[in-house]
Amino acid sequence: MIQLLLKKELTELLRTTKVTWLLVGLAALLGLALYNGYAYSTTRSQFLRESQHITYQQFISQGDKNPHLGAHFGFYAYKPTADLALVDNGLEDYTGNSFYLEPHQRGVVKFREVSDATGLRSFGFLNAGYFAQFILPLFIFLLTHNVFAKEWENGTIKMVLSTRVQARQLFTGKLLACGLVVGAVVATLALGALGLLLVQRGAAGLGPVLLTYGCYVVGLTMYAVLLTVLGVAVSLLARSSALALVVLAGFWLVGVFLVPRLAGELSRQVYPSITAVEFDDQTFREKEYGMGNEGTKDHRRALLEQRTLAKYHVKRLEDLPVFYIPITIEYFEETDGLVMDRAYAAVERNEARQNAFVLTSAVLSPFLAFRDFSLHLTATDINTHNDFAQQAEAHRRRVGRVVDAFYQKHTVASNDFWKTVPQFAYSAPGLGWRLHNAVAPLVILLVWLVAAGGMAVWAYRRLTA
Amino acid sequence: MQASLFRVLFRHELISLYRNRVLITLFSILLVLLVGALWMGSSRLHQQQRTLGQIRAHRVAAQDSLKARIRRIEAHGMYYPGFIWDDPTYAYNTARNEGPQYAVKQPFVLQALATGQSAMQPFYYKVYITRKQALVHESEIDNSFLQFVDTFDFSFVVVYLLPLLIIVFTYNLLSSEKEQGTWVLLKTSNQSIARLLLGRLGIRYGLFTAAVWAVVVPVLTLLIGPSFLATTNWWWLVAFVAGYFAFWFALAFLVNSFSLSSNLNAMSLIFLWLLLGLLLPNLLQIGLNRVYPIPSRIALTKAEREATNRYFEKDGQLLTKEVFNSPRTLIRQASIVTPGMVYGYGIIVSKSQIIKDQATRVAENNLYGQVEKQQVAIGQLQWLSPALLLQEVLATLAGTHWHQFNRFSRDVDVFREHTQQFFYPKMALESTYRTFTVKDADAIPQFQSRAYATYSGQYLGRVLLLHVVGVLVLMVLGYRRLLHASR
Repeated sequence: MIQLLLKKELTELLRTTKVTWLLVGLAALLGLALYNGYAYSTTRSQFLRESQHITYQQFISQGDKNPHLGAHFGFYAYKPTADLALVDNGLEDYTGNSFYLEPHQRGVVKFREVSDATGLRSFGFLNAGYFAQFILPLFIFLLTHNVFAKEWENGTIKMVLSTRVQARQLFTGKLLACGLVVGAVVATLALGALGLLLVQRGAAGLGPVLLTYGCYVVGLTMYAVLLTVLGVAVSLLARSSALALVVLAGFWLVGVFLVPRLAGELSRQVYPSITAVEFDDQTFREKEYGMGNEGTKDHRRALLEQRTLAKYHVKRLEDLPVFYIPITIEYFEETDGLVMDRAYAAVERNEARQNAFVLTSAVLSPFLAFRDFSLHLTATDINTHNDFAQQAEAHRRRVGRVVDAFYQKHTVASNDFWKTVPQFAYSAPGLGWRLHNAVAPLVILLVWLVAAGGMAVWAYRRLTA
Repeated sequence: MQASLFRVLFRHELISLYRNRVLITLFSILLVLLVGALWMGSSRLHQQQRTLGQIRAHRVAAQDSLKARIRRIEAHGMYYPGFIWDDPTYAYNTARNEGPQYAVKQPFVLQALATGQSAMQPFYYKVYITRKQALVHESEIDNSFLQFVDTFDFSFVVVYLLPLLIIVFTYNLLSSEKEQGTWVLLKTSNQSIARLLLGRLGIRYGLFTAAVWAVVVPVLTLLIGPSFLATTNWWWLVAFVAGYFAFWFALAFLVNSFSLSSNLNAMSLIFLWLLLGLLLPNLLQIGLNRVYPIPSRIALTKAEREATNRYFEKDGQLLTKEVFNSPRTLIRQASIVTPGMVYGYGIIVSKSQIIKDQATRVAENNLYGQVEKQQVAIGQLQWLSPALLLQEVLATLAGTHWHQFNRFSRDVDVFREHTQQFFYPKMALESTYRTFTVKDADAIPQFQSRAYATYSGQYLGRVLLLHVVGVLVLMVLGYRRLLHASR
């Protein structure tokens, strides 16, 4: 019986002109989204790879220079494009990707693409992730809103229920029919993205990301299931297509746009960020006057001089067997580094609090929970970005130590020396780390799934009552 | 329309709207959200104003400290007891330490309504001779995730949320008559259905628009003071927002004229909202990025570094050798920082910066040129999406459009050149590298801020006229269809 009902529902759905148009439009959008994501990630990853190579080549071929002057020429650490940026580019354009490896100052990731974007950027960036987060839910709601409501409006519900068809079978049949159409769209999306990943990375390159991508697809499926169940439940409860549509579209609008933005603004109010001027003022003060009772910079400089003279048993700096300036540089690199580490940690802590506040609001919006899940799985989230920044900073200090050690003995560095400075390479953490970060949104999605299921059961009971 | 008929319709609309609890609830929620959006927008504005206040205070303190320190050194026969790199009588040191001045873009009062590019672009720079932004962060410190999520302001509520409320307000104006069986009664009345529907829609439009402004004006006055009412930007804004609402009412009128079911009307309107509000701007973005791809800023650094390397292969190499090997500078010794070393670095920095600036200018012009081309194209194609059009106009009127930030950025570039012209001769000449005086401190160039929330009234007038024509076309089309249908 369920099979018969499923067949009937599918035929009815696919014969409806509006569903046909919906599917055609959706296919076009999906194709465009996949292409756009592919073009973005391919162009960008190649560009960043080349840039990483070029900047290093420029550094190691800068010729004879004072080592410190040469270190100031520095080079860049570029954050490579995320392995699944084809699917979802997340925060990639918002965080920046260039970290300048230069002495004295802790680097900050610069060149956010979004700074050079037009106002169109606020309408989003169409790729598979955008499609899944914004368009797919609306499609599901447009598909499901009248799956039951139409039976009431046409007056056919009583007729159907008076036949041998049981309410449970009717419910299951309709839910499965909607689920199959939605499943086909999700499968097209998942397989399309997988195909493009294969084209982009080759069979060998696909292996390492396959499991992560599989987890993403599982999350996407869970998300699509919960929305389908929710849509059918609302259709069953509303008993009016228009009302069901207004409720579902309203829920979509609130969940996709309103809740995240509102929560974002509120989090800024609750946990205000330090301003750039305050940040500079504070770090400058701490560098100059110390964070505790270590004394002013001049005082510490004098102590360092005394210590160094004592260490080498000499009375004048000129008599040191090594050059003193690099020793000073390295010393303040470390002490200033502590100040900057503390300042950046405070910024990151505040951002983590803001993000947690926004994520909490996902209890009102499964769309936000899925978006967060997607960011973590594709490694286009803030955690990965911070991880990159930390590794780049560690590399900057490594380079500083190498150069200063050389500078203690030499005043001119040639290309032979520059070539000994290590190149930077970054790869995002693996699946375990990503899943660990994605636990919270995943739990929220599960809660939503259970709630949607509960709502469907309640709606079904009302049908049978 | 006769006055008596209008009165009847008006009463009927008031009663039916009042009885529609769903609508009243939705509308009340949206008005609360509107108040929230205004509050958040004004908070951002106040935050920026506070930051600029801090900058002013900081600037005064730094200038006072600089002058006091110079006076002290001069009083002690040019002896500075501290670290040589902090001695402000060296022009290069002052250029690095207290010399960088702030260039600020004063936020316009209507920024409280449309955040626009102000969430992304810096509204102040600390301008240094070698960098436009001497602060650690390129722009204000903000959480990338929150920027990704985007802002919640008046502009967002008007562009995205209110059209959906208009759809709920209007989708079943005619279809409900059919579904409730009152259509036949209407057909037998002595008024045409087209006129009745137009009248009802007009009344709803008036009530809706009046309710929105009745909330916005007093709340905004409370939050930011009444000065905005005296600006022409505000009245343009009122006209455009009213026009935007009119567009959605006219579109609903047209959709209603097809005499479809309420469900299909709602679906069509929601689809149109999605198309005009999200999909078309997105497709436009894809198209423009293909036609005018915006180069990455990484290209700027590549060009700069290539030029630096080229320079150091020849002239720079000679200069560096000259400076670093000079017995006077004693840099070779690398144990004690000497006055000559400060001078030497001053020369190298100024010379190499000239080379870098020349190299990056080409790449920078290319970058901004491409964004400019995209903006011109958006200006030409914005009529495709009223949501895009309104967003662009609101940003322009609030002083937060890309054009306005770009103008500010260009002004800062010019200011940096002035700063360089002031410091370079002092720090790179043997006779002046350590003669920085209080008089010089007073003569450090200051950024002259100007009003950036300007626009071409003629252009806005043309856009508004086009918009009104579009609305009229939709209404005439709907009216004609209804006249035909009711025959």
